[in-house]
Amino acid sequence: MPKHLREEDGEEYPSKRVTYPDRLSSLSDELLLRILSYLPTSSLTRCQRLSRRFYIMAGDSQVWKSAYYNRFVRPRAARIPGIRERDSSSDSLLFSSKASKWLEDEALVKQGQETNWKRQYKLRHNWSTGSCNVSELQVAQRTSTRHPFLVQLHEGVAVTVDNFCGLQAWNLRGKQTRIASTLLQDSPQCNAFPTALAIDAQGSSEKALAVIIGFTDGRYSVYELQVDARVFTLVYVDVEPASTSIEAIAYSHPLLVTLRRRDAHCVTNRLSIYSFSTSAGKRSFGDVPGPPKLIASLKSDILGPPISLSLRTSTHSILVSIAYAQPTILAGWSVGLQELRLTLEGVITNSRLASAMGLDFSSLSPAPQQSSSRSNRKLPPGSSTHAPTSLSMPTSLSYTHPYLLTSHPDNTLMFYLVTSTSENLSISRGTRLWGHTSSVSGVHVGGRGKAVSVSSYGEDLRVWELEGGVSSSNSGRRLAAGEKSVQVRPEKKAGIESSGPDFLSKTISIRGGGLTCALESWSGGATLTKGLVGFDDEKVVVLREREPGCRALAVYDFT
Amino acid sequence: MSGPNQVIRLMSSDSVEIPVERVVAERSILIKNMLEDIGDSALTDPIPIPNVNEAVLRKVLDWCTHHKGDPPASVDDDSDSRKKTTDIEEWDQKFMQVDQEMLFEIILAANYLDIKALLDVGCKTVANMIKGKSPEEIRRTFNIQNDFTPEEEDQIRRENEWAEE
Repeated sequence: MPKHLREEDGEEYPSKRVTYPDRLSSLSDELLLRILSYLPTSSLTRCQRLSRRFYIMAGDSQVWKSAYYNRFVRPRAARIPGIRERDSSSDSLLFSSKASKWLEDEALVKQGQETNWKRQYKLRHNWSTGSCNVSELQVAQRTSTRHPFLVQLHEGVAVTVDNFCGLQAWNLRGKQTRIASTLLQDSPQCNAFPTALAIDAQGSSEKALAVIIGFTDGRYSVYELQVDARVFTLVYVDVEPASTSIEAIAYSHPLLVTLRRRDAHCVTNRLSIYSFSTSAGKRSFGDVPGPPKLIASLKSDILGPPISLSLRTSTHSILVSIAYAQPTILAGWSVGLQELRLTLEGVITNSRLASAMGLDFSSLSPAPQQSSSRSNRKLPPGSSTHAPTSLSMPTSLSYTHPYLLTSHPDNTLMFYLVTSTSENLSISRGTRLWGHTSSVSGVHVGGRGKAVSVSSYGEDLRVWELEGGVSSSNSGRRLAAGEKSVQVRPEKKAGIESSGPDFLSKTISIRGGGLTCALESWSGGATLTKGLVGFDDEKVVVLREREPGCRALAVYDFT
Repeated sequence: MSGPNQVIRLMSSDSVEIPVERVVAERSILIKNMLEDIGDSALTDPIPIPNVNEAVLRKVLDWCTHHKGDPPASVDDDSDSRKKTTDIEEWDQKFMQVDQEMLFEIILAANYLDIKALLDVGCKTVANMIKGKSPEEIRRTFNIQNDFTPEEEDQIRRENEWAEE
């Protein structure tokens, strides 16, 4: 046997011995890892098949951490001007266990030993290539088709609410199951149905989420979801109906922001900021809080939907941002952003507006006003050139500072970059993103510029990497299809015939892999995408309607 | 006569004395630290290098002689921060055209003597022998015993399918 081996590898082995030992495997772990650290990941995974020792060594977390850094973190670090090193070699950006700049991936690093870097690498790899598995989770067998079905996602937990099934929570990790559910029995008026849903996890205890529901009658309720105990607890319910429906809601304990739709008597929408009384500023779910104090109420001409309401808290202040779509004269729809800065006590110190239009465009609606006397409105220093606005009304809008995206029925997305400094709030001119081949029904952007968009029919789901490379591409040429986005390609389930890009067969294949409500209804036509729910590090969740009233969450799993 | 051109003597594991310029020997951080510790007695007594035999030591010193003018490795240049490429400069490539036995001896010696640049060259050379090869080819190259059952190996292949280009 050894002789046979030697013959096959003769040119590398001067035949001094009849047998030669496995010098590579007899190296210390340290030296072996050093050698493996020079290998590309494709070689590492092949090395894992060599032997049990190599399986462990080539799967070593440190080796993969370094690979992860070099592939996913360093290219980003090099793009950010402040971090780019003066010396052109940029050696200092090479992976170093001590001094690497991890940017937003630091959370992974802090987990220390527990991070499985090979798994993280695979996850990022799958995102970058759009490979994932799709499963479907039926969340409502029968619901009203006229009323909204709302879904929010937070770290592997999806919370859904509608007036038929009530409030439900679903675990999307591992075995997909319902965690908890409760009917909205507290509703004194049966005709009120939920219109807005928000989740807050900031400052909450380990396994509890605050869930806030806004209703058509202007009321809102706060529930607490204990994930481990699998139970919803009603924490607070607003007793007095406010007559107009809540259009959007955001919650970051102890602050609650609602945007109520204008009614017949009132021309403007109303933005209200409430503060729940807190003992020593800490959240304690055990106590039922008293009614929140209304700390500010502003009139607003913001049209909605689509709007995006968000609350950001820092050590010194609270920032309420409302991103909205606005029609413009001649130029179709554009976006605007209002930013309210509050002290931690809830006093409004500053209010600013920005719009993606240049000053030579005027809004169709009067400039938003507010009742706060301390407001300090500033118009953005608009660019003198015409902004490339989109003509059609956006189908959805997503804002995660500093990224603002809208999706449009004309198969495109518009991408804006928001600048918010102490002196200035401005929105860059929009950049149109091409890639979809049908109407885009939803877009969602997360931190570090990762965005996911979905078309209204079928499976056209795209992942966009928008960080960097945008400011230099006003022409939009560099954002041509395929350069900035990756189409998600779910793996086909075995045994189901698929004929290329044909949309129907794709739909069927995904249904075939679905968990429930299998093939009985597929002939009824295409699955309708009701909206993009969101994504986290591992999954994209899309709300689908298979038949009227039957809702399911399509979970695209990239792990 | 002290100074960089001072000649010191190294004693290999097989008790052969090898005279070498101090500046060459000091490519080895181990020897450099030893010389600092023992001071002038290095002039009289040979320095024992108990883990490295004559042939390997001479080979390593050849490398050190060629690289004696290289800038010293920076202090915070820890093991992770080297360049990720496996590019090896031409002279080093030629230097590493040795049989596998010698290649691994050089790696072990470079590790023991703490000559980081040489260790990197050695590891890169081995990495290049692994790169682009199938598992079976790698096993043959290094005579690695496959201790997986075919089913186990196939399972690992499937779990790593995503990484194939």
